[in-house]
Amino acid sequence: MAIVDGSPPLELVGVRAAYGGIEVLHGVDLAVPAGAVVALLGANGAGKSTLVKVASGLLPPTAGAVRVAGTDVTGAPPHDLARIGLCTIPEGRGVFPNLTVRENLWMATQAGGTLAAIEEAAYARFPRLGERRTQLAGTLSGGEQQMLALSRALVTDPAVLLLDELSMGLAPILVQRLYETVAQVASEGISILVVEQFAQAVLGIADRAAIMVNGEITRVGSPAELQSELSSAYLGG
Amino acid sequence: MNDRIERLRAEAAELKVGKETASRDGLYQVAGAVAMGVGAAVALTAYWTSLGKSDSRDIDSLMILAIAMLALAVVGAAVFLRYSLARFLRFWLLRQLYEGQAHLDQLVASIDRNGDPASVRRSFVPESDAYERRNMTVGAEGPEQEL
Repeated sequence: MAIVDGSPPLELVGVRAAYGGIEVLHGVDLAVPAGAVVALLGANGAGKSTLVKVASGLLPPTAGAVRVAGTDVTGAPPHDLARIGLCTIPEGRGVFPNLTVRENLWMATQAGGTLAAIEEAAYARFPRLGERRTQLAGTLSGGEQQMLALSRALVTDPAVLLLDELSMGLAPILVQRLYETVAQVASEGISILVVEQFAQAVLGIADRAAIMVNGEITRVGSPAELQSELSSAYLGG
Repeated sequence: MNDRIERLRAEAAELKVGKETASRDGLYQVAGAVAMGVGAAVALTAYWTSLGKSDSRDIDSLMILAIAMLALAVVGAAVFLRYSLARFLRFWLLRQLYEGQAHLDQLVASIDRNGDPASVRRSFVPESDAYERRNMTVGAEGPEQEL
């Protein structure tokens, strides 16, 4: 496999994807540069989550390529992509509801590291989780579940983080705080692709933004450039 | 270029992308079923054939063939079960998780509606919701400002 120097950590080239016979992504090109936060914005049903599924290996594309650091990984299973450093936090957080906070963090030891070290890192980033360590994850508030999902992802020391609808079901103040954490994570050198419906929440921390409409990327640019085009993307105007 | 990207580059280059990975499970499942069927059929055929033989050497040979085919059938059954049950159990586990979460949500909602939230809810979600409610307003002051 060819390795291209200077190639972005994650790149989608001409990606098409379908559910059954219905094509949802119609040739998407998107790159996540090293250490950058890229926001993928669009209305409900635009194909944003499908793109995350393709990038994380959950849904094989019908055409096009997914490249990780220049290597074509199209068709690689999600567990292999996770092992090499491509970590996904799915829509709905993906915590194990019947396990405690501690047990959820223990799951991350499968990727290496001791539970003590993982707990220390997680509780240092989110002290609130330390107070809830013996509580079932399903009984945590939405914000705390998102903290747990984020902690579990970060302790695997990923190179690329895919966040799908981080703000879903959360109060605005919590969304703001979670995105502050995301910005801090990006400053540590992790490349991040954030899929969001609520543009204002993520544009404040994003380095690049892309607008997706009906399965196609219609615009890529800086957050400032895209502000004016957001209303037409959401309202179809 | 930071260390993470260098590590990602190295590990991605070593990644064996098996385009047929998804279909490999199905292939093993079919191979297991075929081995199970062929093994059982040939073992029975050998048994029936041996009934018409009078030479003990022929009977011995057919017995060896029948035992070998029975072994093949057992191995085939094991392979078939391994690959079909794994898929079933994976879905079963997911279903358990989702159902468990749904029941837990119902329980918490029911306690919220009917019980005394101040005393009962604490055992399930100590201060969790209270924490979020206190912070619903942007710029809220107080000790719960930290995440």
